[in-house]
Amino acid sequence: MSDAATNAVQSSGAAAVPEGWQPHIVALVCNWCSYAGADMAGTTRLEYPANVRMVRFPCTGRMSPLMILRAFEQGADGVLVSGCHPGDCHYVQGNLVARRRFTIFRSLMDFLGVDLRRLHFAWVSAAEGHKWAKVASQVTAAVSEVGPLPRFSAAEAWDSPQLPSVEGTGPEELSAADLEAIQTNLRSAAAELLTTGRVEKVVGYRSGSMPGQMVPVMVTSAADTTVLEWGDGCVNNLAAYATTALEDAAKVALVVKTCDLGAVTGLIRESQIERDRLRLIGVQCPGVRHGGDLADKCLSCSGAPHPICDLVVTVDGVRESCADPDVGVAETEDARDVQIAHLETLPPDERWRFWQRQFDRCLRCYACRAACPLCYCSSCISEKHRPQWVPTTIDNRGNGAWNVIRAIHLAGRCSGCDECARACPADIRLDLINRKLALEVESLYGSAGLDPSEKTALIDFRMEDAEEFIL
Amino acid sequence: MNRTAWKIDEEKLRQWVQGLVDGGDSVVAPVEEDGLTLFRPIAAAEHAHLEPSGKTRWSPKEFLFPRSEALYRYTLKGDSVEIRDPDVPETRQVLFGVRCCDAAGLVRLDEIFLSGTKDPLYAARREATTVVTSACAAADAECFCTAVGGSPVATEGSDVQLVPLADGWMVRALTDKGEDLVGEAPATWSEASADDIGRIEAIETTVTDQIARSPIQKEWSRVLEDGFENASWDHLAQHCLGCSICAYVCPSCSCFDMNHEANAWCGEQCRSWDACTFGLFTHHASGHNPRETRQQRYRQRVLHKFSFTEGEDQHFRCVGCGRCVALCPAGLDISEIVTAAVTAIQEEGADGAR
Repeated sequence: MSDAATNAVQSSGAAAVPEGWQPHIVALVCNWCSYAGADMAGTTRLEYPANVRMVRFPCTGRMSPLMILRAFEQGADGVLVSGCHPGDCHYVQGNLVARRRFTIFRSLMDFLGVDLRRLHFAWVSAAEGHKWAKVASQVTAAVSEVGPLPRFSAAEAWDSPQLPSVEGTGPEELSAADLEAIQTNLRSAAAELLTTGRVEKVVGYRSGSMPGQMVPVMVTSAADTTVLEWGDGCVNNLAAYATTALEDAAKVALVVKTCDLGAVTGLIRESQIERDRLRLIGVQCPGVRHGGDLADKCLSCSGAPHPICDLVVTVDGVRESCADPDVGVAETEDARDVQIAHLETLPPDERWRFWQRQFDRCLRCYACRAACPLCYCSSCISEKHRPQWVPTTIDNRGNGAWNVIRAIHLAGRCSGCDECARACPADIRLDLINRKLALEVESLYGSAGLDPSEKTALIDFRMEDAEEFIL
Repeated sequence: MNRTAWKIDEEKLRQWVQGLVDGGDSVVAPVEEDGLTLFRPIAAAEHAHLEPSGKTRWSPKEFLFPRSEALYRYTLKGDSVEIRDPDVPETRQVLFGVRCCDAAGLVRLDEIFLSGTKDPLYAARREATTVVTSACAAADAECFCTAVGGSPVATEGSDVQLVPLADGWMVRALTDKGEDLVGEAPATWSEASADDIGRIEAIETTVTDQIARSPIQKEWSRVLEDGFENASWDHLAQHCLGCSICAYVCPSCSCFDMNHEANAWCGEQCRSWDACTFGLFTHHASGHNPRETRQQRYRQRVLHKFSFTEGEDQHFRCVGCGRCVALCPAGLDISEIVTAAVTAIQEEGADGAR
């Protein structure tokens, strides 16, 4: 367990504020407005609490959530982020993009059990010395009230709150004969694509060595399409293989379930693959099983193949489809929303403990990243070490920073395929984190859906974006 | 082995474990947490899963070779630096309810950390650790200990072994450490009968029959090494995603990386788990990477388990727990892949299809 930074981070919980305790507050401020504003407060000889230590940045747009996390990891009890008012940014729109990012980051911190009295945002201009003094006092008062930051560790002998069970009917049940028929149709569709030269490779599933298991396979000849299988073991999102499959093939066909399509769209949207080099074979899905039970994501899914696929394979046969992507508004309901709602009713302290226990199990195997089709960076932020923003040490601090930053990098982009949560050997509820952020993004900024020409929320902004929480 | 074996019921077993906890030992046992079974230090015997409860999600190796541990810590004080050695364990650590394959895995770790230059931290922890294994009453679908020379009732690495009986447990002390752990407890225990001892063989036969995977032959080590360049590797590990689940849940994987965590006042030099399946593992400062593809990296892992050995009589470094098979998000099965690679090499020649 790392103790490089433990000096200031020692407390049993949020309940008690020790006598004579003074909070450490880190302020990340923009050079052009808030830093000058604080300077103004000084030259005007205004008094405000000395708990706030400033770090100067060129712009709020430069402030990654990692920097806020770092402050907490290093022992800050509270963080204040401050920059120019909307419309005043020295770089025109840095603070507008940052505003969306902070909004989402703030709701994630709340969900993970950071008391929001610890995390503040403000617009303070160079002329607003008085406002700076007022904000610094307000923030100090709020952090003083909530007390020292709780420990980054799993509580011993503590029972996690029971999350409500998820309910749903799932896709229409398919008989063995139906699955057999789908499989035959899938094989003939794949063989046809390969024989006619419309693709050079088909990425599908074959049976694995474990009971009922299906594993990814790349087929390059019509004769080999007999290995292709279909059933409830087809859990992988094959979009994760799209980029590598296209490395040595001009055109590739992907076997997809409807839940895989968001990731395919994401890859096209972000210029990782080209739509016209892909043939999407959408297959009628019986729902997938992981560990015996129907996957949670399937509970509110019909299993019907999506019309934006080039080919649609059902019990009845194969047909060409390729509808316009704007028919594809992503499902907005999810059976797990009751679990998210339940976690949100708990006090922050309980949520903190819930997630600390989850993160305590994290082995940093990066299977979440490996299985995620949209985690395609050739060099991940967790591998950068000059400076090293994500601690490499496998403990709650580093694990928390890793899981938080991955969630933030996927906010507005995550397609909800749940591959990260399925791959996780420690059963960390990454699905709940991603779903929570997807809901937040959708309610505030709308969803990009399955149209690759739509921008995702966090690279975009509107002048009138909500900002009630900003001081 | 002329040591005594006893037969006890579950209540007596729990009393014994509770006695260890009360006596100040750090007892690590399988517990249930958020629906998964994990090794955790326990505060009371009732928390432990004493029944043969299915495999823990990962092996207990982290209690000898922690995920991350500080090798030294320092604090800057004015112009001077205060350097501290990490704490070494002072109390006895009991790993309880360890599967026989996992105990063999710990012996594989010993071979790495205790041969040649001994790793002092590992050695201290190992010295303070007593291992209580629990023989398996049934094999899981992914198990293949018997295919790599192990057994569900193997004693390698065990100080005490529990054997499930129809109505309770047989306890066997196998080493001095084990006798020491059992201590005075057997005053109220009865000696095991010949029937009870015969149960060991019965279990071995039953469980061996349940394991369907075909044996991995010793002589395949050479075949695999000779067939290093065989093209089948590209195709066999084509769908490897490049995470490190296989290495991190493995009882015998021992690779680590050094990392440094510090702020302006204090810091520590740490060693943390690392895995050959990561691209950065062999990434040179120059930018060159001798294992550029995931397939090459996966081959490295397989060969390190089955091939790169120093002598003919050495064990495979895979103990057949099957966790990497069960948990691989891409469904790679190491035993299946070894067999397939050997078949391909034997059919196509060492550098076939290149």
